[in-house]
Amino acid sequence: MEIVGKSVPRKESLDKVTGAATYTADRIEPSILHARLAVSPYAHARIVSLDASAAQNAPGVLAVLTGDASEVLVGEEIRDRPILARDRVRYYGEPVAVVVAETEAQAQWAANLVQVQYEPLPVVNSPAEALHPDAPILHERLKEYEKSEDVVSVPGTNIASIVHVIKGDIERGLAECEKIVENTVSFGPSDHAAMETRSAVVQIMPDGRVFIDTSSQAPFAVKKYMARYFGLEPGRVIVRTLFVGGAYGGKSSVQLEPIVYLASRAVGGRKVKLVNTREQDITTSPVRIGLQAKVKLGSTHDGKIKAVQIVYHFDGGAYNDKSSAIALSAASDCTGPYSVENLHCECLTVYTNHVFPAAFRGFGHTEMTFAIERGIDALADELGMDPWELRMRNAIVPGDTTPTRNMLNSSNLGDLRTCLERMRELSGWEDWKVQQLNDHTVRAKGIACFWKNSSFASNAVSGVILLFNQDGSVNLETGVVELGTGSKTVLAQMVAERLRMSVDRVHVKFKVNTLDTPEHWETVASRSTFFAGRAALKAADDASKQLIAIAATVLRADPDDLELGDEKVFVRADPRVQIPYKDICYGYRYPNGNSIGGQIIGRGHFIQRWMSPLDPATGEGQLGPEWNVGAQAVEIEMDTRDYSYRIVKAISVNDAGKVLNPKGAFGQVMGAMAMGLSYASHEGFDYTDEGILLNTTLRTYSVLRYGENPEYIVEFIESPCLDAPFGARSLGEYGLISIPAALASAVSRAAGVRMNVLPLFPETIWRAKDGGSV
Amino acid sequence: MIPFDFNYYRPATIEEAVALYMRLDQKGKWPLYWSGGTEIATFARLNQIYTEAVIDLKGIPECRALAVEEQEMTLGSALTLSEIHDSEIFPLLGATGSGIADRTSRNKITLGGNVCSELIYKEAILPLLLADSDVIVAGVSGARRLPIAQLFQRSMQLAKGEFLVQFKVNTSYRLRPYTSVKKRKQSAIGYPIITVATLTTESGSRFAFSGLCDFPFRSEEIEKILNQHELPVGERIRQAEDRLPAPIRSDMLASANYRRLVWQVTLEDLLANMEA
Repeated sequence: MEIVGKSVPRKESLDKVTGAATYTADRIEPSILHARLAVSPYAHARIVSLDASAAQNAPGVLAVLTGDASEVLVGEEIRDRPILARDRVRYYGEPVAVVVAETEAQAQWAANLVQVQYEPLPVVNSPAEALHPDAPILHERLKEYEKSEDVVSVPGTNIASIVHVIKGDIERGLAECEKIVENTVSFGPSDHAAMETRSAVVQIMPDGRVFIDTSSQAPFAVKKYMARYFGLEPGRVIVRTLFVGGAYGGKSSVQLEPIVYLASRAVGGRKVKLVNTREQDITTSPVRIGLQAKVKLGSTHDGKIKAVQIVYHFDGGAYNDKSSAIALSAASDCTGPYSVENLHCECLTVYTNHVFPAAFRGFGHTEMTFAIERGIDALADELGMDPWELRMRNAIVPGDTTPTRNMLNSSNLGDLRTCLERMRELSGWEDWKVQQLNDHTVRAKGIACFWKNSSFASNAVSGVILLFNQDGSVNLETGVVELGTGSKTVLAQMVAERLRMSVDRVHVKFKVNTLDTPEHWETVASRSTFFAGRAALKAADDASKQLIAIAATVLRADPDDLELGDEKVFVRADPRVQIPYKDICYGYRYPNGNSIGGQIIGRGHFIQRWMSPLDPATGEGQLGPEWNVGAQAVEIEMDTRDYSYRIVKAISVNDAGKVLNPKGAFGQVMGAMAMGLSYASHEGFDYTDEGILLNTTLRTYSVLRYGENPEYIVEFIESPCLDAPFGARSLGEYGLISIPAALASAVSRAAGVRMNVLPLFPETIWRAKDGGSV
Repeated sequence: MIPFDFNYYRPATIEEAVALYMRLDQKGKWPLYWSGGTEIATFARLNQIYTEAVIDLKGIPECRALAVEEQEMTLGSALTLSEIHDSEIFPLLGATGSGIADRTSRNKITLGGNVCSELIYKEAILPLLLADSDVIVAGVSGARRLPIAQLFQRSMQLAKGEFLVQFKVNTSYRLRPYTSVKKRKQSAIGYPIITVATLTTESGSRFAFSGLCDFPFRSEEIEKILNQHELPVGERIRQAEDRLPAPIRSDMLASANYRRLVWQVTLEDLLANMEA
């Protein structure tokens, strides 16, 4: 292979580093109107009265909309969310009104004038509180809500969904165990903190067509849901997305679009723009899910795990949207990458008075991995075993089955044992015990393993179109949104490889427009290289067939004798007989002017075979095609007086199947590791007892800064996934998944106390260690 | 984005600035003196401050003065923290200032703005307290010069329409041994759990603290205890704690107990280094 496997710079880089690339909110148009939200200052309250008159009369204001503007309930898994709060608010920051004005400043000024009288209600501040028998019920109409077919709710409680994943016989399994440990973990929601805040622009045309420009990872989902919510024809909902400035799952939810649609409708369809402030991006728009989990692990004396019992209580927030899907995805892989015969997992997604969750890089897997890996470390402690040995002994291998009862082989499962071996060398694991550097400084290492199968709609589609230019170069069009992952460059590499041409000659269209771009379901779940890659290869093959067909005529040769190479079609046995693409890709013109053929258009699409939703009672089913694996380590130095610590080194060994773009792959994994370290050491929402969020700005919601990064070591092993293009396993999410668990493992070892909460602030460690008593 | 309009004035003299303030105030314009502007901009976009007129002090030459003379150094209130740091005029102030916010913000944040901040930290005050600086304050009745300890009591005690013009620091303090330590909750940038600045003179070491209580302070009583070299370090810190001017603060960054621990560890390290 000449192009796949080489480091090719991202095609959009120059535009981005020079500021030429544009994002949804960048466009300034003189006639556009601006929207701003008025949001709830309470986490749970009844709206007693709402007076919009002052806002209505403020300068430049065209409309003020409140909950009365629409009775439509929205939400992906459960339609439980009013577009603007009606009668009641259920989280701090929930939109209660939207103001449309001539300028952004006028809209903001007027939004500040919306007068709402609230009657505070008791607040549900955690999953445990939600499940308390006396808890206030957040959704009395849960029974009536429209739901996805696989969502099982418990009306009359705060349980939005309940799923069981069961394998073997848990009672018998536990009875056979010689050692049983139980470990609980707990962490709250946190933010995506993407550089670009969310934004949407909506215009409704006189004939009813709706144009939506949105900073979304899922423009096709926006089209689908907007059509569904408002009874529109999907073909008349036209969604456009330019570059997206970081998404991490947070921009796959549909939240601002319905609000701005109502706003535009209220002003005669004029174009209205809403851009989240940073504070509202944090408080109002969906976030990362929180979790309280209990993991019981049973093993033999020599560390063979025989039984695993898990209870998940996911913090589903005030509205369900994607949270039960995230929880389901976590439950489907709940054992982590370990071979477990007897499993019982109960997974609840509960309503709380927190902002509702969106997908977050890892889709529930970072959360579930933290729970299981902290349990594995606890088991190693109790057994007096090297935690690496324990993981190696139980690593899942071909021939084992998944929690969802899928048979694993060397294609659909990555090679964890080889990853573990390599991680052992890279981390110097033979010295895994705590090292005392001086009176009060220690150095400690922690490890963790991950696996993840990506879940998606079982009929999710991906399509690619290749259009030739007159000079023989190709334009690549796909519904994949360029979020900063470099996926479209990798797709160009695949097409260039297959069409035997330079990657510089494959031009990529970055803008997605649902009117004329082939659908790529959603740019989530690390599916771009896999799904769109398969579609791109199929499109390249389609184009290749067409090139050969016309070349066969022109060269008077049997198509079977022809091959592609160096942007030409030639006769295999006599390469002197050849014709360049440029002479045939726009039709061929004979010397006398007669012409044949036409512009070559390659088409390709992909749908994953044999996907099926899980049975909510047993967890049987198949959510995705391949389980990718890896092993990670983190090394820290800690001051054992105040438990402050510095992250020295982070290591990740991923099974990449095949590395398509080495520097791109390194960047993806390193970036994900940084995100995992930031999440685990810095990030978490700070709620008061009343559910008021305190850290609503990037001053107080702290993320890892550039200078705080440790040394990163990223390596890949290559055991191919036969279904994937060139055998390449996904990478986008995988660098993150077990980093928080690995950091917690190192921190626990250094401090000499099991840390089962996030984020790992020094004070949090001190509390666990000394009980906060000094 | 600031959702209201306001007029911007840039006077060239102290007198003009004060006169403008008084006039605008009488007209009900809620005037504010503007220096770096970071705090006004931040609070204004969050609807926590309102003004119809800002008076930028950066056009007044005295506010931008930066000089080292034989007797004293002059530091204009409208110098940015970055300018002070890069000038190396007063290394302790440069170091303490460089712990505030991030470089991009420090290119805007000024010395006067920081010490008059609405937030409790005001860390740039610590070196000025330690160096017994004088302050020149301008107001309706003209300019006056007074010791910082007199003007800064938990916060700057400024009368309506008054603003800071300059700090005057005895040049002998310029290159004295110093330390400046900032401990944060976790991040390399952010508000302090505690910030400690020290300055050592012939008569002993001086200590000033931010973040520990609800206001920054220097306490001669605490200094006396911490300079008792015959006592073990731990004992001195225990005694110092009894003399704190207010309870240790408890907030989102740290509980009082954990903050106490961090303060103790920081002092232990500082005293050990000083006496090594």
